[in-house]
Amino acid sequence: MTETKEVLVVDDDPDMAETMVEVLRDAGYSARSAGDGKQALEAVEMHMPSLILLDVLMPVMDGWQCAREVRKRYGRDLPIVVVTAAEDVRARAEPMDVNEVLPKPFELDDLLRAVERYAPLG
Amino acid sequence: MHSFTHCVRPPSPLQETLGERRIALTVTLAFVLFGVAWVFASDVVLYAASDDKVLIARIETAKGWAFVGISALFLYLVTLRSAAHLARTRAATRAVVESIGDGLLLLGRDRSIKYVNPAAARMLGCGDAHELVGMGAQEFSRRFRVSHLNGALVPPEHYVSQRVFEEGGPLMYTEILHPPGKPEFVASVTAAAVRDGVGEPPELVVSVIHDVTVTEHLEQLRNQFLSAAAHSLKTPIAVIKANAQLLARREEASSRKSALAIERQCDRIDRLVQNLLVFSRTRSRTLELHPQEEALAPLAERVAQAMNRVSPRHEVRAELLAAPRAHVDRERLGIALSNLVEEALRASQPDSQVAVLVSQQGADAELGVRYRPLAPAELAALASNESNVDLGVVRDVTATIAEAHGGSVEVENRGAETILLLRLPAIAGAA
Repeated sequence: MTETKEVLVVDDDPDMAETMVEVLRDAGYSARSAGDGKQALEAVEMHMPSLILLDVLMPVMDGWQCAREVRKRYGRDLPIVVVTAAEDVRARAEPMDVNEVLPKPFELDDLLRAVERYAPLG
Repeated sequence: MHSFTHCVRPPSPLQETLGERRIALTVTLAFVLFGVAWVFASDVVLYAASDDKVLIARIETAKGWAFVGISALFLYLVTLRSAAHLARTRAATRAVVESIGDGLLLLGRDRSIKYVNPAAARMLGCGDAHELVGMGAQEFSRRFRVSHLNGALVPPEHYVSQRVFEEGGPLMYTEILHPPGKPEFVASVTAAAVRDGVGEPPELVVSVIHDVTVTEHLEQLRNQFLSAAAHSLKTPIAVIKANAQLLARREEASSRKSALAIERQCDRIDRLVQNLLVFSRTRSRTLELHPQEEALAPLAERVAQAMNRVSPRHEVRAELLAAPRAHVDRERLGIALSNLVEEALRASQPDSQVAVLVSQQGADAELGVRYRPLAPAELAALASNESNVDLGVVRDVTATIAEAHGGSVEVENRGAETILLLRLPAIAGAA
């Protein structure tokens, strides 16, 4: 039996979040979404995912704050892939110690490859 | 009345020198002719009128005194006329300088300010222009805190009015001035040196300050809007594209075709948006690269694969002739290479191949796009087609990205094929 991996999609755009969740479920992952960094931290608290796909520009708590908090609480055990439309994000992501940056718009194959790298299905 | 408006072309320094010499020569010749005529004619008349030597001697003395008197009168009139002309010119020049809206500073050989026009004094918040006279660059810097548009202070030795003493000119830059007690303003400053001859040190430096605050503000607003609009478009494009890809994966062949068309158009909008972002960043001088060591072959393969979807009548494939590595901003270089492929797709023969090349020539890494161009008449029609006006922006962005990487873009025609070539410095020994 293959192990199901859970991916947490954090994006304030419901259409974007829903699309990514669908893509991941189609690929065999268990996926759920959160609308901002604060919701994401609550979701992680309740159930630890295998990977977080994190948007940057969000209300309440932005992606950078969320990433910093995740690293503080869980160290590098929880991989973070930043998925964003923000410019020059790679430079800002460096000190944040995120695992990867995927600029929007992306190819689904690129998204799935990134997810597979950090949360490989058995 | 003097008129400055009739001068179509100002005289060159050589013409001015020749003009001055001609006037001096004319006055001297007139004086010599008058003198010779006076001496000759008066002598002839005197010797014809009298044989009395004593009388002749007395009259000659009187003649000499008369000559001195007439010469003095002549000199007085010529000098008076010249002085009046000079005074009029000086007054006209002063009126022109003092009436212009731009600030004007004149610097002397010691590099300090010698003259300030009223506009410059107003701009710099000085009630009296004389406050600034004698001020050097260091003191000017302390008082008016000159900064670049990004806020960094301009060192006094970097002022154009100082650099022009060594570098020649005219030099120009845009900076922000912070007069005490007055709002800061953005100024376009030019400086030019006045020299006695080529290679001579400047006698004078003329620096003009043009207030461009309003223009700069409008430009910034336009660029911010362009940047915000382009950025805001990325998320909806991402949603539409992801859903189109999802449909293409799930649905049957007929729907898949529509989904692929949606995806292609999304990619097209995305390329345009990315170009607009770089364009607006360049215009607002806020374009920053984040270079990292990268292998160029995977980048070329990725671009070739993505661009292969753009035109159903072309095949885009990667041709890897070397494996150079370079310090590049992956996203920005990807935009530049995609732009070259897009240009090649528009300018190439239908049903032909477009190759994305990776090679190395000496110290340069080369990213090229090879294609079979349309016939010259078709290319001319393409250039005049309104749907291709975006190519101007696209080319500008490509060149900007290449230059920001220390490289260049060139076009090479090799037989029946054209190659758009982006050269940039490679990391030594990596190929």
